[in-house]
Amino acid sequence: MTKYAMAVDLDRCQGCRGCMTACKVENNTVEGNFWMYVFRFEQGTYPDTEMSFLPRPCQHCDNAPCVKVCPVGARFHRDDGIVLTDADRCIGCRYCELACPYGVNYFNWQKPENAQYTIVDWQDDSLDPVTGGLVPPYKNPDLDQLWGEEQRRTAGGGHDKGVMEKCTFCVHRVEKGLDPACVETCPTDALVFGNVDDPDSPVSQYLREHQTWQLLDEAGTRPSVFYIGGSPPSREVTEIERPKATV
Amino acid sequence: MVSDTKVKRSLPQGVGQFTPKWMLFTVVAVIVLIAGIAAYLYEASQGMIVTGMANTGTQGGVTWGLYVVMVEYFIGVSLAGIVLASFAKVFRVKALRPISRLAVLLTVCSLLVGVLAILIDLGKPIRGIINMLLYVRPQSPFFGTFMLVAVGVLLTSLLYLYLDGRRDAAYLADIDSGLRWYHRLWAMGYKDTATERLRHRRTMFWLSIFVVPLVIIALSTEGLVFGIQVGRPGWFGSLQGPDFLVLAAASGLANLIVLTAIVRKVLRDDYILIEHTVFNWMGGLLLAATAAALYFQIVELFTLLYATPGNERQLADALLRGPYAWIFWLQLALLTFGLVLLILQGVRRRWSVGVSVVASVAISTSAVAERYLTVIPSQTHGMMLPYAPGSYFPTWVEFTVVAGLFALGALLIGLFIKVFPIVPLNGMKADQEVLVDA
Ligand code: SF4
Ligand code: SF4
Repeated sequence: MTKYAMAVDLDRCQGCRGCMTACKVENNTVEGNFWMYVFRFEQGTYPDTEMSFLPRPCQHCDNAPCVKVCPVGARFHRDDGIVLTDADRCIGCRYCELACPYGVNYFNWQKPENAQYTIVDWQDDSLDPVTGGLVPPYKNPDLDQLWGEEQRRTAGGGHDKGVMEKCTFCVHRVEKGLDPACVETCPTDALVFGNVDDPDSPVSQYLREHQTWQLLDEAGTRPSVFYIGGSPPSREVTEIERPKATV
Repeated sequence: MVSDTKVKRSLPQGVGQFTPKWMLFTVVAVIVLIAGIAAYLYEASQGMIVTGMANTGTQGGVTWGLYVVMVEYFIGVSLAGIVLASFAKVFRVKALRPISRLAVLLTVCSLLVGVLAILIDLGKPIRGIINMLLYVRPQSPFFGTFMLVAVGVLLTSLLYLYLDGRRDAAYLADIDSGLRWYHRLWAMGYKDTATERLRHRRTMFWLSIFVVPLVIIALSTEGLVFGIQVGRPGWFGSLQGPDFLVLAAASGLANLIVLTAIVRKVLRDDYILIEHTVFNWMGGLLLAATAAALYFQIVELFTLLYATPGNERQLADALLRGPYAWIFWLQLALLTFGLVLLILQGVRRRWSVGVSVVASVAISTSAVAERYLTVIPSQTHGMMLPYAPGSYFPTWVEFTVVAGLFALGALLIGLFIKVFPIVPLNGMKADQEVLVDA
């Protein structure tokens, strides 16, 4: 059996948000949507302040409230633990977003083409040699494929207006035996991914060697993401440096 | 000779007479409806980005906004009508008989509008209809919303309205008028024989008994939509269902009182058909429902005051003294005001139509505000992870679409009144008939 999980070592995380960027590049998510998000917290009053960071992917809960409430089974839990959204099945009711205690769901409020990052004028001919005509906006062709035993369009699809999306554990990479983009990119190796049913996998070893805790344990969601070091965010912390982009 | 004597009758209760005032009402309603449709089409083309909604969490928005508030309100309003009509039927409450059709009509129209509001709120409305039929999961409370409410209660209420009107339709079908085809269609196959009448009465009796638990179960799921959520502050709890029903009963009765007052006014000479006693009945019932609703509110207020530090506290602060405080206290004040007006009338045993209408409007407005407070603040304040608080304000698109929904409801009721007698005719035919020799 395969059961995927992720370890997030907060003692290693330096809050650089490289994973967030990697996720954006890999999954072409629209402006303001962060399938992977890194909280930057501040606690205390100057000069006795402390900063902490908390990467927050979808927790791929084994007892996922989002799966339970989906009226049409578009949000589902795979046997290997990955929780996905079928872009062709979702009716856009956004109930999963309300049910999730972690705030990881992103609905596409508009045509994603209209909400890609537009720092560069993609129409500019002089860009052609670099882009090879792939923009605007560049689309990872893998996202539109059918994945898994179920053969469903679950990798975020082409990002459709009016459907729900969230972190997929980069299902399109995992199916090819690769790590999710955020894991691949993290410069301090704070993120470890793999099959916990295989005792020799790096994630199994990591989890064996460290003490772990889970985010919002009290919600009973049984996440597949395990945190190491740091501490669960308290109510005393203030979030700083929120992304400016909304929708 | 009998065969030479034709019964020449005119349609009762102003049916078929499209008066200038009615035309004016219809034109205004149609204009608002068209504006609503246009706003929705604009939204459909641009995406829901044109609404005030955004994702919860990093985007600091609400993912369920005004549309869901109105879904809860409209579906809540539908409760009282059919239950009241069934109650009148089963317990043979003669006094309520004249408004029973209006009551069921209110249920049907508010449900239609409520279900439409659900579809409007979906990111993929067409796919929504198809997939709800293909892949429906009873484990999701949406099953209740779509299947039990939209299909179950709506169709049962329509059936109720249809069956209950057949006898009148058969009578009207004998009258030579431009609407005859319609009345014939409605009466189809019904001849008003003694056996038919008996069978009809029995069917209606059992339908009345069947419909009450159906409505209560179906509408409770509207509360469950929130009551089973652990992921948001202020939602999880067994009281969401009952709380929803109580306020639903109050808002439904309030709407029915206003509607009855209007209908009574436009019936002109026929206004005597709706006796004043119906206002005593409805006033008393509204009093009971409002008192219960206020009781729930006060219990909730105290619970909020003692909310533990943490996300429940954040929500409580937002409600009691934060950005939602004005809505919170306003709705409480409106509910109390309405209740006081009703109590004053109750003790004096004099129910004035005007005062009842004022109380009803206050209570109904309070219900909209209360639905707003159920749906919205739990999304912006007290998220379980320490996201900064969010905010929400509906845009003109949402307001226009909602106005369109109200207009549609009003239009349907207005139209019905002109094609079918709104007060059941049973037993009153004699007054209407003019026998003339052919
Ligand atoms: S974190 Fe949220 S979206 Fe992800 S599986 Fe858990 S409940 Fe679902
Ligand atoms: S938004 Fe889509 S995935 Fe989420 S509950 Fe609704 S239908 Fe399911």
